[in-house]
Amino acid sequence: MRRWYVIAAPYIWLLLFFLIPFFIVFKLSLSDMARAMPPYVPVFDMSGLANFFSQLDFENYTFLLSDPLYINAYTSSLKIAAVATMFTLLVGYPIAYGMARAPREWRPTLMMLVILPFWTSFLIRVYAWIGILKKEGLLNLFLMNYGIISEPLNIMNTTTAVYIGIVYSYLPFMILPLYSSLEKISPALNEAAEDLGSPPWRAFWQVTFPLSMPGVIAGCLLVFIPATGEFVIPDLLGGSETLMIGKTLWSEFFNNSDWPVSSAVAVVLLLALVVPIVVFQRMQQREREAV
Amino acid sequence: MSEFASPPATATGAAPPRSGPRSFAPQSGFSPWKDPSQAPIVRFDNVTKQFGDFVAVKSCTLDIYEREFFALLGPSGCGKSTLLRMLAGFEQPTDGRIMVQGKDITALPPYERSDVNMMFQSYALFPHMTVESNIGFGLRQEGMPKGEIAARVEEAMAMVELKPFAKRKPNQLSGGQQQRVALARAIAKKPRIMLLDEPLGALDKKLRQQAQFELMRIQESTGTTFIIVTHDQEEAMTVASRIAVMDKGNIIQVATPNDIYEAPKSRYVAGFIGDVNVLEGKVSGITDGVIDIEGAVSGCHYKTRSNEPVSIGQQVWLAIRPEKVRITHDKPQSAINVVNGKVDDVGYLGSISHYHVKIGNGQRVTALRANTAMTVGPPISWEDDVWMDWPTEAGIILTS
Repeated sequence: MRRWYVIAAPYIWLLLFFLIPFFIVFKLSLSDMARAMPPYVPVFDMSGLANFFSQLDFENYTFLLSDPLYINAYTSSLKIAAVATMFTLLVGYPIAYGMARAPREWRPTLMMLVILPFWTSFLIRVYAWIGILKKEGLLNLFLMNYGIISEPLNIMNTTTAVYIGIVYSYLPFMILPLYSSLEKISPALNEAAEDLGSPPWRAFWQVTFPLSMPGVIAGCLLVFIPATGEFVIPDLLGGSETLMIGKTLWSEFFNNSDWPVSSAVAVVLLLALVVPIVVFQRMQQREREAV
Repeated sequence: MSEFASPPATATGAAPPRSGPRSFAPQSGFSPWKDPSQAPIVRFDNVTKQFGDFVAVKSCTLDIYEREFFALLGPSGCGKSTLLRMLAGFEQPTDGRIMVQGKDITALPPYERSDVNMMFQSYALFPHMTVESNIGFGLRQEGMPKGEIAARVEEAMAMVELKPFAKRKPNQLSGGQQQRVALARAIAKKPRIMLLDEPLGALDKKLRQQAQFELMRIQESTGTTFIIVTHDQEEAMTVASRIAVMDKGNIIQVATPNDIYEAPKSRYVAGFIGDVNVLEGKVSGITDGVIDIEGAVSGCHYKTRSNEPVSIGQQVWLAIRPEKVRITHDKPQSAINVVNGKVDDVGYLGSISHYHVKIGNGQRVTALRANTAMTVGPPISWEDDVWMDWPTEAGIILTS
């Protein structure tokens, strides 16, 4: 009996805080906008259940398809997230590799340093980048002071700033899974590869990299998924040309008060991300089976 | 298999024709180390390796000859693995040179030491590759044509009977099979020198004995020089043509298994290989190559034949192997090398029995007796008063 409680706990949690809210959002996405409180119809009503369902339709979804703004926002979000994930991988891999090959007694400290930024609010850290990237910010001051550039770089309020923000903010999510898979790879494997005639860089591509693949995939998904729906970073660092679905959703919800359409945007976003999540889980399962 | 059987001629070009394969018997005609015209295939020239303050290997000089099955033997931390890893190229000597076929390879990285391949203690199999592609890995690095690789992999798999497992991943294999993959992977490269770092350490005893004979068979059929690191003295005695006994970074003695056992140079070597009784004493006389020793245990006098240069009054130790000590209830007729004591412990091992006898001063002497039907007299038991003796040829004089 007690075991049943233990197993049930996470499912009840998921039901209460994921599945029920999701169905509410899904229902909203099938409703129509109204100048009322709440700003949509129909409102759930026990007496006329048939009438309630007959008023629901997929109109909002067809609307999403008809306006290129939404499609552009989705593709642009996926593109920005993909490119940012690539850069995060490029920056994170050497760091994780260095950590995994560092003397054992240093590793907890290095790990600590990677997690340390989490002790400061995410919002504040993104705000801090404004101070660095803006026209009269730290970066431009530094570069101009040393005569590296004569004109200030225009990074703030561009997509570049969004990339910088995402790479910076999500780097720990890339490093940690990479580190944990790299640390498991025995240095003896590299020695064996070298002994068999493979120079270090080739040994890396033939042995280390393929074996770190579970970490690469986990890290990429942990960055890609939240980056796709990211709102704070494009809102604070991006400019008008940076089109991301999180911002679109926000303005639909708060500026237009169109709850049904913004709910439809959210549902489509979720579906777009379910695919990589399923891939991620498949990979994890395969890794578990391999052990 | 035919390709493996003919090693290329040595770089010196002066390899004399060999008179057939050597037998596994420790004393056979194969002894290139005694032949001054032979050039060693591997030479450690005054090699020292330090890790910080710790000296892992202390100015070691060692020659290993072609077709030898050479064992580096010692307790863990004695520097034997470091010596091997320096030959493979994973560690750089702090001082000294390593030569292979007369060429100084000290500065070469491991991937440029094509004469040398290593089998790792942990096997270090690539977990993401099948047995086949693990074995072919080294050949692919050479840029060998695909057909040739397949043929060589096939050949190596046949040698260690791995063919049915070609498509499996290492984690789908048993420990013994993994060990064979590791061996095949190194042997597929056809190195002149094969390094084995505790290759059988992870196997159980029965499998280990089987694997030892397999290693010897492969070493024999390929004509490769094998250098094995082991802490298992029995393993070293079984497989090796010569053994280097190491302790704390020093090579204590290099000799054939037979010489190591019968003529150890120090108490350390005598004690490390097999069981031994060590009796302390002082030299009291030397006549015609027979040395008289006044034992530290009162009333004990020993005589032993030895060429060891000793002087009268010098402290020495007499080492006697237990199987050379005869144990009886009755006092033996001969008067030399006779000691009297009480049986302290009897170890019955089936085919043989060990008798631990106290002879005074806390000194114990172990005698070993085969349990044959011919054993006469009543059985020897605890607390029995017994006599032990050994011939003058049995004792070995040790000065350190």
